Amino acid sequence: MERLPKAFADRDALVAHVEALAPWAEGARSYIQGGHTKAERKLAAIEPTAYARTRNYGAGKVTRLSPYLQHGILSLNAVRNHALRLCQEPVQITKFIQELAWRDFWQRVLAMHPEWAWNDVEPYKTGFSTADYADALPEDIATGTTGVACIDAFIHELIYTGYLHNHARMYLASYVVHFRRVKWQAGARWFLQHLLDANMASNNFSWQWVASTFSNKPYVFNLENVDTYFRGLVDTTPEANHVLDASYEALAMRLFPNRARTE
Amino acid sequence: MNAPLILLHEEALRMSHPVFAAAPQGTRSIFVWDDTYFQQLPHSLKRLIFIYETLCEMPIDIVHATPLDAVQHFAPSMLYIPTTHSPPLVRMIDALRAHVPITLVTDEPFVTLNKPTDARRFFQYWKKAEKTAFLHNGGAHA
Repeated sequence: MERLPKAFADRDALVAHVEALAPWAEGARSYIQGGHTKAERKLAAIEPTAYARTRNYGAGKVTRLSPYLQHGILSLNAVRNHALRLCQEPVQITKFIQELAWRDFWQRVLAMHPEWAWNDVEPYKTGFSTADYADALPEDIATGTTGVACIDAFIHELIYTGYLHNHARMYLASYVVHFRRVKWQAGARWFLQHLLDANMASNNFSWQWVASTFSNKPYVFNLENVDTYFRGLVDTTPEANHVLDASYEALAMRLFPNRARTE
Repeated sequence: MNAPLILLHEEALRMSHPVFAAAPQGTRSIFVWDDTYFQQLPHSLKRLIFIYETLCEMPIDIVHATPLDAVQHFAPSMLYIPTTHSPPLVRMIDALRAHVPITLVTDEPFVTLNKPTDARRFFQYWKKAEKTAFLHNGGAHA
């Protein structure tokens, strides 16, 4: 048993030390750094009232506190208390408080039903059964070489930074499960490996929410939606994202043909 | 009798966690850097770096071992651990129970619910949670 060092000349030295400790670990460092100083700085910068108006946009006032919440560096309680001090009326920050509450909710679900972490809570509501979905994540998704420009951009951000805007997470999950018909578990494992904020409760149940095994219907998006929220941040031109360029009606027919026939 | 010990894990990396108040003052605290645990998850390098640089800011020891080896080395009279619902961490804690008495300490609450909720949908939970979600300390008397 060995006591590991905690003092390093700089971040490069710390990274080299962790690389030597875990030579099996994939990938490289993220620009996002751990630590309490960084967490406090991020907390001081939150704008919970602006969050309510802009959170769905790629350039919106999201807090990026989630890696620090996941590791307990900040508690949900401390973040809520801080947000309350920044508003005149609590109702102004309802969306912000709800976002924190989602995390609390998923934790409670996992505590009550740990067996749901990796099992379908409910059947798919896509017209397909679990057996119709592939077990493994396709290589082009794992490497961000699908040929769908915005999807590949989101994958690269996931792999190289360990962070993704929540809307982008939903796009990727929907692409994996519904456009490529891959089991949500394969995608959930992939996110757990890379996301700095991933925990089994929020991550896996959110994948099940998108998949429809823990919600009333599958979550689907189209290129118009990506363009609305991420224009200028990723390539949203139709020619580079052909598979996503369709109306919701056309996508429902294409992605869920069995369900469409019975409706 | 040996001294008690605080065992932190990757979901509770702050000195204001209630586990420190629950343990006797001056209790030693450690984080076990367990290769097998990290490799089985598996965490990417960027996740490991994030955890390590957080640990470097804390006045605790990072111990390169398995949790069982660490517990057998320190042989604490009581092992204080932050409560977790993460299945791999729950399995780790359960495996230690045969070797050491354990006290689990929950984090400060976000909301106060009168009784446990088994909601399947967020808004079933929210109808109960919103009564205290907008209150300082979630309505709990700290």
